[in-house]
Amino acid sequence: MKLDMSLNDFEQALTREGYITEKEDRIALTAYLAAQLEKPMLIAGPPGVGKTEIAKALSQVFSANLIRLQCYEGLDENKALYEWNYQRQLIRIQMKEANLREEDLFGLDYLLPRPLLQGLMSEEPSVLLIDEIDKTDAEFEAFLLEVLGEFQVTIPEMGTVKARQRPFVILTSNGERELSDALKRRCVFLYVNPPTVEKEVRILRSKYPELPDKLAFQVAKAVSILRERLALQKIPSIAETMDWAKALLVMGKTDLDPAWVDATLNLLLKSKEDLELFYREMGAERLLGEAKGI
Amino acid sequence: MERSELDRHLLEFIRLLREGGISVSLTEVQDALQGLTLIGMADKSQVEGVLQSTLVKSVNQLPWFQEVFRVFFATPEAQSNWQKEAQEKAESWEKGMAETRKELRFQGEELELTDEQRATYMSLPENEKERLKKFLERSEEGVRNGIPVDHSFQPVVEKMFHGSLEYWKRKLGEDFLIAPPGQEGLLSEVERAVRQKEMHYLTKDLKDIPPEEWPEVSKLIRRLSRRLASQVSRRLRQGKRGSLDMRRTVRENLRYGGVLIKQSYRKKRKGKPKFVLICDLSGSMVKYTEFILQFIYGLTSLVAGIETYVFASHLADITPRIRGGIQSFQGMVNTSLTGLVEEFGGGTNLAVSLEELHEQHGHSLSRRTVLFILSDAQTLEGEKAAVYLKKTRRKVREIIWLNTLPEKRWKDVKSIDLFRPYCQMFECNTLEHLQDILKKSPGFV
Repeated sequence: MKLDMSLNDFEQALTREGYITEKEDRIALTAYLAAQLEKPMLIAGPPGVGKTEIAKALSQVFSANLIRLQCYEGLDENKALYEWNYQRQLIRIQMKEANLREEDLFGLDYLLPRPLLQGLMSEEPSVLLIDEIDKTDAEFEAFLLEVLGEFQVTIPEMGTVKARQRPFVILTSNGERELSDALKRRCVFLYVNPPTVEKEVRILRSKYPELPDKLAFQVAKAVSILRERLALQKIPSIAETMDWAKALLVMGKTDLDPAWVDATLNLLLKSKEDLELFYREMGAERLLGEAKGI
Repeated sequence: MERSELDRHLLEFIRLLREGGISVSLTEVQDALQGLTLIGMADKSQVEGVLQSTLVKSVNQLPWFQEVFRVFFATPEAQSNWQKEAQEKAESWEKGMAETRKELRFQGEELELTDEQRATYMSLPENEKERLKKFLERSEEGVRNGIPVDHSFQPVVEKMFHGSLEYWKRKLGEDFLIAPPGQEGLLSEVERAVRQKEMHYLTKDLKDIPPEEWPEVSKLIRRLSRRLASQVSRRLRQGKRGSLDMRRTVRENLRYGGVLIKQSYRKKRKGKPKFVLICDLSGSMVKYTEFILQFIYGLTSLVAGIETYVFASHLADITPRIRGGIQSFQGMVNTSLTGLVEEFGGGTNLAVSLEELHEQHGHSLSRRTVLFILSDAQTLEGEKAAVYLKKTRRKVREIIWLNTLPEKRWKDVKSIDLFRPYCQMFECNTLEHLQDILKKSPGFV
């Protein structure tokens, strides 16, 4: 999907769509490069740093459909590529049409395209998001290589389906499993770190313009401290930071205080172990002291 | 920059990346070139971005890449300084080796030593060097059966030197150079800088990590344990869905008058694996205790139902102590090891420990069991232990042995050869090793 715009224009387009990037995070540069080189983009990073959001924002910038394949353990070709509509074929046979031929049963009418095939068959530009590829097994990855290498797939009963418009492919990984070198070689790679305090403040301000500057900074700073200092099982995601900020906004808060941190902490830390760890090793008073720079 | 000049610089840059173990394919070189042509060379940060996204494909490779980039695009003065330093180091190494050759002679004849042994000698404290030199001088003037010794005595002296230098090699650990330093300035600078960065944790021997660095390291161990846990606990087999389940299909379709509208398939499933962890806390492993405990903590707090044993001369089941709800790392250490301390830190007997595992905790071993052994494999009764290991292997799904002893020293430990046919043994004394093991882990179970 070659773009007819400069890198600068591309960065601005992303900002217009509400996706905040910084020069240092290289998100815009890598996405631009992937589009111009017509390569899949592999995004790695801890959960909750906005990997999936990149795909959503890019589909808007490219004015393309977003087709999403959510990966999970045990995902196979039938769920990812296509399946025959067996029930419909049976009904057609039951109708006992006199001149029914076998080929009639294996046409597009009887095909149930799954996300990968949808991406290949799409007439419109599309962004194909293969989310959490590390959750699938190595065999599925090998199959994916074949599809992404040629952008075509052979359906035995129908023949080869070639991509009408090459979709812009985004793969995300949380690093649960090391991906194969072959797959990585074919992609342009981006590692997304948790956002800096400044970037998270910008994100909060763009989502909730009515959020007071002071509160936005305190929220972003407190979350950043939680992410960096504590060995949490699950670090708070950007979405959770936004939920927290929104909750405080709804409650009419302009400044963080320990009682409110205690009352709303379960919006950020969602397991018993993480909550216990927080109270054992830090506590609301200390968190706020550091967030406010006291 | 002219295209051919750009090509040349890029290839040189890639060569430095490869020195750090980053494999770069031809396609990736082309991508980098196209990217640079597209984005231009005016903005240094953008150039770094293009090279990083096209040539680096894993977060672990980033520290090496960043240092190569810094060094490669440094000022010519800085580069020539690094070059000078590297050459000086290389020259001093050569000089040291030449002196060693001159010093370690027996009656004018050079002692037969390997380069590694000579390097060990060079790194010895001065008083120890003196002691060895004096021993050599005395041996030259020695008398055997009333006759002054001659050249035939040289092998005896060499044997004594081999033993002493091997002892010192182990004692000095991995901290001294056993190979000549590179003469290449840029590369030496990258290596130096990377050692100081995050990778430092990854490549540093776990026994050498100072207490103040442990909080950071324990975070990494936890991250790696999480990956290990999610890898081994995968339950669904990949591939086509299972075969058609005719019995269920017919039953489901009775409502359609027997027309097979809905199909039911048998899902292929692996049984949920059960982790059993056996950790060596004998004298030789004491230096790795912190790592072992962090590893136990990392795994047990992520995977429910894990059974944990520690052993030295006997086996102790610490599962019930850990299961009572894990509070903190320190809490786990207190509850799990209190009262056991006097039993550990001494000799190792894996044979007795495995025998006890079979006899007293036989329920832990089943086809669902993935058994992790964390030990340096230095044990009494190695042959008997191998027999028990073989017996254990027949009962469990897999045995993964994480060996803290460097792989190059495995040949010196006889029992390792006896154990290897019955387990997958991996060198594991740095976090990088643990990470590499995880890369191979889909093949575990």
